[in-house]
Amino acid sequence: MNAFRGQLELWRLHLAVIVIGAIAELIGIQKIPLGAGAILLLPLLYAFIMAAVMNPNLVPKFGKIIRQKEVQAASPLIVIAIMPFIAKFGTTIGPAINTIIEAGPALLLQELGNLGTIVLAFPLAVWGLKMGREAIGATFSIAREPNLAIIADRYTLKSAEGTGVMGVYVIGTLFGTFIFAILASLFASANLFDPRALAMACGIGSGSMMAACTGALTEVIPSMKEEILALAGASNLLTYATGLYAGLFLALPIVEKLYNATAGKKDLATAQKKEA
Amino acid sequence: MSESAVATQSSRPKIDLVDHALTLIIVCLVGLVMNTVGPKIPLADGFMGMVVIYFITLVGLALTRFAPFYLPSVAWISLVGIVATLPWTPGSEWIVAQAKSVNFLALATPALAYAGFAIAKKEIEVAKHSGWKLALVACFVFLGTYAGSVLVAELILRLQGV
Repeated sequence: MNAFRGQLELWRLHLAVIVIGAIAELIGIQKIPLGAGAILLLPLLYAFIMAAVMNPNLVPKFGKIIRQKEVQAASPLIVIAIMPFIAKFGTTIGPAINTIIEAGPALLLQELGNLGTIVLAFPLAVWGLKMGREAIGATFSIAREPNLAIIADRYTLKSAEGTGVMGVYVIGTLFGTFIFAILASLFASANLFDPRALAMACGIGSGSMMAACTGALTEVIPSMKEEILALAGASNLLTYATGLYAGLFLALPIVEKLYNATAGKKDLATAQKKEA
Repeated sequence: MSESAVATQSSRPKIDLVDHALTLIIVCLVGLVMNTVGPKIPLADGFMGMVVIYFITLVGLALTRFAPFYLPSVAWISLVGIVATLPWTPGSEWIVAQAKSVNFLALATPALAYAGFAIAKKEIEVAKHSGWKLALVACFVFLGTYAGSVLVAELILRLQGV
């Protein structure tokens, strides 16, 4: 029962979460029209912002209400709070098992689409922003925990590659939900893609990213809510199974080779310039 | 947060089931408040739904702890939720009906609130230090990964003609 008493001693934190969460739920989902599409603001985003504003590390004057003790306790609670959410997602997959099987090949292979990060982000990082080996860690994956583990294992997190993956990890932790809610609402309102494909792609990140992504999708396409939840949940589960290996055996070696090849060329080019 | 996350990946964590069971009660109660305030689902319905979700989570955690091979707890919890709701599982209709009274976005709201409170000095330092370049790259990482996944899934669905 010590754990329970421990949690009760954190009543300030839990009460703050209830109050903030309730306010966020009361505000509800807001739509901002943007050209042909729309950006969706979800309660989970307001909840995050309000909590961050009350975080003593960001706004010190709240240190009297939320202390460092609560800040430290909040971190493991994220994982626990996401568990019932994942369970709920599981219950949407079972009844839709036929849909999942039908979409099976697409579900399995869309993991390869994660390599899209290399196509888009790697050139920007290396050629656009002239980043060094940070680019390898930053662009090989979406930088969730399993990917952090891969980099920690191979280069340690204190290396340049480690800085890269940590940077994207932190940005993802802070703003991932926003970016995914915006991406999903823009892609969905563009009317170019099968909603099932959009749903599967929602599963590529963390639980909260999936929440924001599917939340936005189901708002734009309410008629397919059940299917969207089931496919996103199945994709997220598969990401645990296959994502680690795709990152380790495909994405990281590709990024490394690309970097070595182009960095070599760059050195050659600067050397030639000097001669000329 | 990040370092402990890495540690749980590389070694099987010893989950204290009693600790988790008790903490989950609080988390589920918080979620129930959201479920009642936001989507306005009647409290009695939401309560039964949350009880079902609670037990699915607990079974998943027990499997994480005792199963002969290691999977992350989220994967186990997900699997238990799936198996419990498959059409050929006895009683699945009842479980599906209860779980429908729990709104998935309402469960995500408290998780993100905890995340907002959990931002540590170290993470602010990393964000400041790594600066705008990494932030820009991160946006392209997300866009590239999402778009890539959508395109591959779209292509396969079209090839299948389903």
